Amino acid sequence: MKRSAIGIIASFGVAALVWEAFARSGLFSSALSPSLAVIVPALIQMIVRGTIFVHVGYTLYRILWGLGLAALVGVPVGILMGRFKAVEGFVLPLVSVLSPIPSLAWVPVFILWFGLGDAASVALVFYAATFPIILNTWTGVRSVNRIWVRAAETMGAGAGDLFRKVVLPGSLPFVIAGLRQAFARSWIAVVGGEMIAATSWGLGWVIFDSKEFLRTDVMLSTLVIIGFLGLAFERFIFQAVERRTVARWGMVRTAGT
Amino acid sequence: MFRTPTAYYLRRAAQGTVQLALPFVVVAVLWEGFAVFGPFPPRLFPRIEAIASAFVRLMVSGILPLHTLETLLRLAVGFLLGAVVGVTLGMLMGRYRWAEDLFVPLVSVGNPIPGLAYAPLFVLWFGLGNLPAVLLVGFSVTFPVVVNTWTGVKAVKPLWIRAAETMGASDRQLFRKVVLPGALPYVLTGLRLGLARAWRVVIAVEMLTSVSIGLGWLIFGAREFLNTDVMLAGIAVIGLVGLGLEKLVFERIERYTVVRWGMLQR
Repeated sequence: MKRSAIGIIASFGVAALVWEAFARSGLFSSALSPSLAVIVPALIQMIVRGTIFVHVGYTLYRILWGLGLAALVGVPVGILMGRFKAVEGFVLPLVSVLSPIPSLAWVPVFILWFGLGDAASVALVFYAATFPIILNTWTGVRSVNRIWVRAAETMGAGAGDLFRKVVLPGSLPFVIAGLRQAFARSWIAVVGGEMIAATSWGLGWVIFDSKEFLRTDVMLSTLVIIGFLGLAFERFIFQAVERRTVARWGMVRTAGT
Repeated sequence: MFRTPTAYYLRRAAQGTVQLALPFVVVAVLWEGFAVFGPFPPRLFPRIEAIASAFVRLMVSGILPLHTLETLLRLAVGFLLGAVVGVTLGMLMGRYRWAEDLFVPLVSVGNPIPGLAYAPLFVLWFGLGNLPAVLLVGFSVTFPVVVNTWTGVKAVKPLWIRAAETMGASDRQLFRKVVLPGALPYVLTGLRLGLARAWRVVIAVEMLTSVSIGLGWLIFGAREFLNTDVMLAGIAVIGLVGLGLEKLVFERIERYTVVRWGMLQR
């Protein structure tokens, strides 16, 4: 997806014009659809005052805890499923039933169990992130080329070596894909969770709270920040990890998608 | 060992059932144990009997089916809206350079924003109730559909297009007979991702826009009265419907179209 800088600027320029026309058309009152002349100062003010960084910090804190715990549980479970038929037979039915339940459906239950605040949000992220990680790791372990395993065994690799040097790197592209998917889902879960299990910080909470005060400018600024943060995670963290590991080992072509 | 083939197959089937049931039995036992001996009062962590009886009670009285129907209706309308907009936009982006230049940057920034984050904004714009819920579902569906349709159109082999052109295909024929079937596997993937997303969004958005009937609303409302059994019964229905959507709707569509046309082996 290589596009010249001019193309990108033009694209956002057109979008800004369309928004400006929509904002000034009087379709909604200016309190509901503020013009860019109002949104941009609000965004700048949030950045200068530093409040936005606290919100981002809280959101990231919840995401990283939830995602970290999910990886800690999901990767080993996925690997065990891929290696042992019994584990697969036990875990797979549970995962296929639980995974289609949207994590946000659990919000009211989690609020009752964990109270309002961080714990509920972290639990929510954990729920959202675990299943994609399990499913992808499981697929990854199964997709490790049989011949590699046999070759390593022939050359006298022990179970530990086999796992560390063959199975783990072999399944890593899938594990990373799983983490990526898990992040996308956590991102949704954390914003939704913060809206409902409201505490006093977090990007989702800002948006929801601004509604009470009709601060559409703050809402839209926060949306922009959420978009760019999500994009940054995808572009800088996941693609960098991919380049350093699986791409360098020649497991996949450098994924540009 | 087995006297008749029938006995053999019966036994195999029984073994399969046991194997499938085992994890659920174990989880149920753990749940019961936690409900009885755990730190939560039964009001917050009901036993399975309580959940099951709530489920049966709400099913028989027609409350649960009603809420499910409303949610599905909302899902269907929102999904169709998003699918039509998404496929159209994706096709334009795949066929015309200007559309690609215009929309790709916007889609890449818009895609990582959870649709749900717009919910408060939509509520301010369109009021509470059905309209913002359906629009929000449609909005969230659009992104995965656009991205996949666009990729799909770009992935149609240029050779096929040139061959069709050489044989004198008109623009419309080219589109209907080459581009559309060629891009279809991707489009279906997009629709599938879109439906999964719609399903996640519809439940949550019902909590935020206070529609009057709907599964998300049922769960959210039950919290006010501490009816944890009703909440969990609602979640069970959500799980079943989600599973059904995946198994019955999409795997079937895929079989009837792309697999039959030999675009994809399954």
